[in-house]
Amino acid sequence: MKNRLKALRAERNWSQAVLGAKLDVSRQTINAIEAGRYDPSLPLAFKIARLFGQAIEDIFDDEARVMQGARRRE
Amino acid sequence: MTTEQATRRYFQIFIPSMVGYLAGTLATIWAADHMDLPPFALYGLAGVPIFAMLCMFWGHWRFINEIDEFLRTIQIKAVLFGIASVLVVATGWGTLEMLADAPKLQVFWLLPIFWTSYSAAAGVLTKRAGGF
Repeated sequence: MKNRLKALRAERNWSQAVLGAKLDVSRQTINAIEAGRYDPSLPLAFKIARLFGQAIEDIFDDEARVMQGARRRE
Repeated sequence: MTTEQATRRYFQIFIPSMVGYLAGTLATIWAADHMDLPPFALYGLAGVPIFAMLCMFWGHWRFINEIDEFLRTIQIKAVLFGIASVLVVATGWGTLEMLADAPKLQVFWLLPIFWTSYSAAAGVLTKRAGGF
């Protein structure tokens, strides 16, 4: 799943370790989410959304939504 | 709980358990070879490494519950790899013993096979996930 976590983190000058500490997860977990290798659980996604003050769908974008957007643009 | 705390708690159980397992195993082997113990005493002595094994797995169970969700998936995959390795070796060798007269493999070796394959899988998966 694509996400804006890396950009949001960079805006705040947080390292992966710092963000991990704020979310109570490991640096590896942040790394895996940012790289799109791991999709967080719903509770963790909510926690991330709350931390950045945004809606989940503004941070995470599943393929279906990406395809929908592309179709709409056509 | 942080990953570091969970890891520390894990090793606080794992290291003494592993020492107990090795000491219990060696003591049982030595007693069986050098002492004329009655069978119930040998069974009792063999209970030491068995108890240590139970502690090891309880520590691992607790560790898996205490780490975060992504690291938990790594641990579960590694444990599955370890179990699969044990089943493949045990069933495969058992088939060879049954059908091809292969030399007997002591089931004692299943635990070392589990820990070796689990550790290799956990190491590879953790490295792929961005290191330790």
